Amino acid sequence: MKKIKVNKNKYTVIMVVNIMVVIFIWYLLSDVFKVFRNGMLPGPVDIVKTFIYKLTNTAPGGNTLGGHIAASMIVVVTGYIIGVGVGLPVGILMAWYKPIDYLVRPVFDFLRCIPGLAWIPVITVWLGIDLKAKAMIIFISVFVGIVVNVYSGIKQTDEVKIWVAQIFGASRWEVLKRVALPSALPYIFTGLKVSLGMAWLGIIAAELLAAQSGLGYMIMVARNFGRADLVIVGMLTIGLIGAFLTWIIELIEKKFVKGRR
Amino acid sequence: MAIKIKKINFSKIFWGVLSIFLVFVIWYIGSQKPSMKGLLPNPIDVIKYIFWSNSNKIGKVNIWGHIYWSMTRVITGYVLACIVGIVLGFLTGWSKLGSAIIKPFYMVLRSIPSIAWIPLAILWFGIGEQSKYFIIFISTMLIVMTNVIDGVKDVDRDYLGVARMLGTSERKMFWNIVLPCAVPQIFNGLQVGLGAAWATVIAAEMVRSSKGVGWIILMGQTAMNMTQVFAGIIIIGLIGLTLALLMRGLEAKLCAWNVRGK
Amino acid sequence: MSKILEINNISKTFTNDDATNSKEVLTNVTFSVEENEMVVVFGPGQCGKTTLLNIIAGLEKPTTGDVKINCKEVTAPGPDRAVVFQNIMLFPWLTAYQNVEYSMKIRNFDKAERAKEAMKYLDLVGLNGFEQSYPVKLSGGMKQRVGIARAYCTKPDVMLMDEPFGALDAQTRYLMQDELLRISNTEKRTVVFITNNIEEALYVADRIIVMTDCPSTVMEEVIIDMPHPRERTDQKFLQLRKEISAMVNRRR
Repeated sequence: MKKIKVNKNKYTVIMVVNIMVVIFIWYLLSDVFKVFRNGMLPGPVDIVKTFIYKLTNTAPGGNTLGGHIAASMIVVVTGYIIGVGVGLPVGILMAWYKPIDYLVRPVFDFLRCIPGLAWIPVITVWLGIDLKAKAMIIFISVFVGIVVNVYSGIKQTDEVKIWVAQIFGASRWEVLKRVALPSALPYIFTGLKVSLGMAWLGIIAAELLAAQSGLGYMIMVARNFGRADLVIVGMLTIGLIGAFLTWIIELIEKKFVKGRR
Repeated sequence: MAIKIKKINFSKIFWGVLSIFLVFVIWYIGSQKPSMKGLLPNPIDVIKYIFWSNSNKIGKVNIWGHIYWSMTRVITGYVLACIVGIVLGFLTGWSKLGSAIIKPFYMVLRSIPSIAWIPLAILWFGIGEQSKYFIIFISTMLIVMTNVIDGVKDVDRDYLGVARMLGTSERKMFWNIVLPCAVPQIFNGLQVGLGAAWATVIAAEMVRSSKGVGWIILMGQTAMNMTQVFAGIIIIGLIGLTLALLMRGLEAKLCAWNVRGK
Repeated sequence: MSKILEINNISKTFTNDDATNSKEVLTNVTFSVEENEMVVVFGPGQCGKTTLLNIIAGLEKPTTGDVKINCKEVTAPGPDRAVVFQNIMLFPWLTAYQNVEYSMKIRNFDKAERAKEAMKYLDLVGLNGFEQSYPVKLSGGMKQRVGIARAYCTKPDVMLMDEPFGALDAQTRYLMQDELLRISNTEKRTVVFITNNIEEALYVADRIIVMTDCPSTVMEEVIIDMPHPRERTDQKFLQLRKEISAMVNRRR
């Protein structure tokens, strides 16, 4: 027992030392020996400095870091909520009613082969580049991710369980509510997580191509100014927020999917 | 079993054709509305455009030229990503030391969406091919790696016991048990990764390029040529579908022993 | 006859990680097995039998006591013992043939010899023509035949069978019991066979070790000297069945 604990600590130590060594080498290469062409890979100190600077300053890109985060978040949340709200019932309908399944499935199978961001040019022409347009792009990505997972979650419901419910006289609606949906819950949460990733990816893509604010826009502007430090700050912020949002969904999942699997 | 698969399901084909036909009808009716002029092209025009581009140039090359460019980018980045992703995945998943060294960086990189790499890639590698290879590489590699790590973690401990009973040394355990056990999950990673590589190349071509399928749709938008945009989207979907079917066929061939491959 | 397997005073207590809870499943188990003997370990309930087999196999360590094979103490799993598992545990990525030859391949026997032995044992278990099938394509009975061939092909000193037919339907179970006797008649092996089915025990055993329920220990050893094939409705068979059942029930 004790031996295992010692081993675990050993690897934690290796991990921490390893991270510190890498950051130190990075620091040496970029700040002390200045190996990289001017500012291509800014040192860790510069990145922290830029991060702090950007918290309160608007240039370049016309907004503070917080402002860009808010701009991106409001679009993601809007598109995500609508996407989930529409995707859930559509996925259930597709899985539960045969005619809809037959009719919609072939088209859907094709549509989901198209990456959500391929719709950006169409949306831009139709709706411009405001919040509505970007939310639409997020909506498409989220919608597809949710439908796919809800559909396969309900489809994999154990037939025996459905029969048992029917034998006990449950109506079709009750079977769906009490048997199929609960057993599809893990899949639905997978869908929620996957499409959150897609939404976050979609907003960055949309802002890279056409926007006046947001994190994607910020890193694009930073690139135009050749500010690698600001690009990396943007990327890390994007990653951090993405991880945070996933963490929230996992918390909700733990609450709801207790005792399953 | 094999015969059952080959038997064609006619009702499925019927519904498939009907469903696609219906979409075209709705699309056609929608495009005839005066308010949709210039916004939604006529589907017949779109199909005509696709055939037209078979022998006529869009920009510098015809449609096959664009597909060729996009595919070269995808395949270069993808193959590199698969090799590196599988090796790093096994190092992280199987060796505790490897995990301690690689995992922290993997966690940071994994949380950054692939597209957010585009500006940095352009800064580092310019707007040429290299930056596109890099973006595809980084996005696919992380997906493959994730699947390899999961695959190794999910190796049934009981199989290791059986293998020991049969005289497998710890040194041989990896090649004889862990690797084959992880194959289905790795294959899943290769499949998902190819889809992601395809999506990423479209994004990269939309941001900066002068050739490729992603360029076609962005150019269509700039020129307000919606027929070209929709033709591009359909081609993107068709290629994505072909790639997915190819991978599924390959899986059925290579993983015949697996229940999924049945 | 020489003693090939000795089990001396084995006890096993499982303790959970923070040592707040413990359960004794085996206590002072002692018996020995002679060469080419078919010994059946029979006991009621879920307690201890599989653990005992895992300890003999070397997959688990006893809390006290030791296991000796040919006077050498068992410390780890190894090919001098082969296990036929209840859930079979064939490697799904290998064909029937590859599963059988695996233990020889991993010990670097040359290809011709591997092929000869593997085909011999596949033949012995009656799986001619299924060499190239993957386990997913085989029925439960066929899978367990592969499992037995795989164990034989390891050339073990002792074969350990952990309720090998427990997952099969009744009809296949009878058939496999006959097959096991036929196979072990063709090529004699020392077998430790675990079951909770008294009829199965009486049908195949040279000697039955009767175990108590939790914590398990040896209650009685019964030598079965009826000739094969045995008749399940035979007077002596039924008499023994009654006696052993009564023995177990009394101690419950």
